[in-house]
Amino acid sequence: MNPIVRWFHQLGSPPTFDRFAARWSRVFYIAALPVLLVGLWQALLVVPPEARQLDSFRILYIHVPSAWMSLFVFALMALYAAIALIWRIKICEILAMACAPMGAGFTLITLLTGSIWGKGTWGTWWDWDPRMTSELVLLFLYLGVIGLYHAIEDRRSAARAAGLLAIVGVSLLPVIRYSVDWWGGLHQRQSISVFGDSAISSAMIAPLWWMVIGTKFWFAGSVLAKARADNLDREAGKAWVGERVEETPR
Amino acid sequence: MTHLPFVIGAYAVFVLVLLADAIGSWLRLRAARRQAQSRQQRQQARQSAQQAAPALTAELER
Repeated sequence: MNPIVRWFHQLGSPPTFDRFAARWSRVFYIAALPVLLVGLWQALLVVPPEARQLDSFRILYIHVPSAWMSLFVFALMALYAAIALIWRIKICEILAMACAPMGAGFTLITLLTGSIWGKGTWGTWWDWDPRMTSELVLLFLYLGVIGLYHAIEDRRSAARAAGLLAIVGVSLLPVIRYSVDWWGGLHQRQSISVFGDSAISSAMIAPLWWMVIGTKFWFAGSVLAKARADNLDREAGKAWVGERVEETPR
Repeated sequence: MTHLPFVIGAYAVFVLVLLADAIGSWLRLRAARRQAQSRQQRQQARQSAQQAAPALTAELER
């Protein structure tokens, strides 16, 4: 068997996943810190103020990466949920459910920072703009997934039900992405492109990429830590959990 | 810096949510480990009690 395929198979085993998550959650958290600090330093102190919005545009460096993460995490959660439903891989169920809290966190950051930015530039905390409304629906979907997972006692049935909700909820993602093109509203059209040319100055874009990478690392650390806790909960009573707990008494 | 309260407020939200998430993850992991540990101790106590029980029965029968 191909070594990479074999490694993926081994990762599906709870003890192997526990070892992997214990090591890599810490690595990702530690890697995220300097990346985020560089991003924050550039965003707040290096980049010059924007001509019209002046310094309030600096909110972009946390608002946009969080908005991207809110969509990315939901898509990833639905992917894990689909894999778990099709191939019945327990670790994918755990990973899907571990995505939800951080995804909800990023959606909350997007809504709150957007609201603060909106007050500074548009003069209002909230408007039923299509992008804002669809992002709010995304937060409710995340909360629905979390709530459903905790409402059913049997962990596997709970993960399957919540996973199904995540898969159905994916249909909201294109609505959020294209809401501004379809219905207009207060939000401007897309000005930043990952692969093409961006409408904003290249001098202003560097901190954004630092923040995008930093939030990805932070998310990876968070999801592995949460998945590890859920894995230990589900496997409690098995011999390997006892050995692992005794091995590392912290 | 213009719009300072807005910038500070937005960045504070970002930092607080990320920190709350990290602390929440750490607390959950600690709770899971403690639960596993106490379960392990209970299992060990039950096993040693079971091992001691036959000896006691033999002693009483004598």
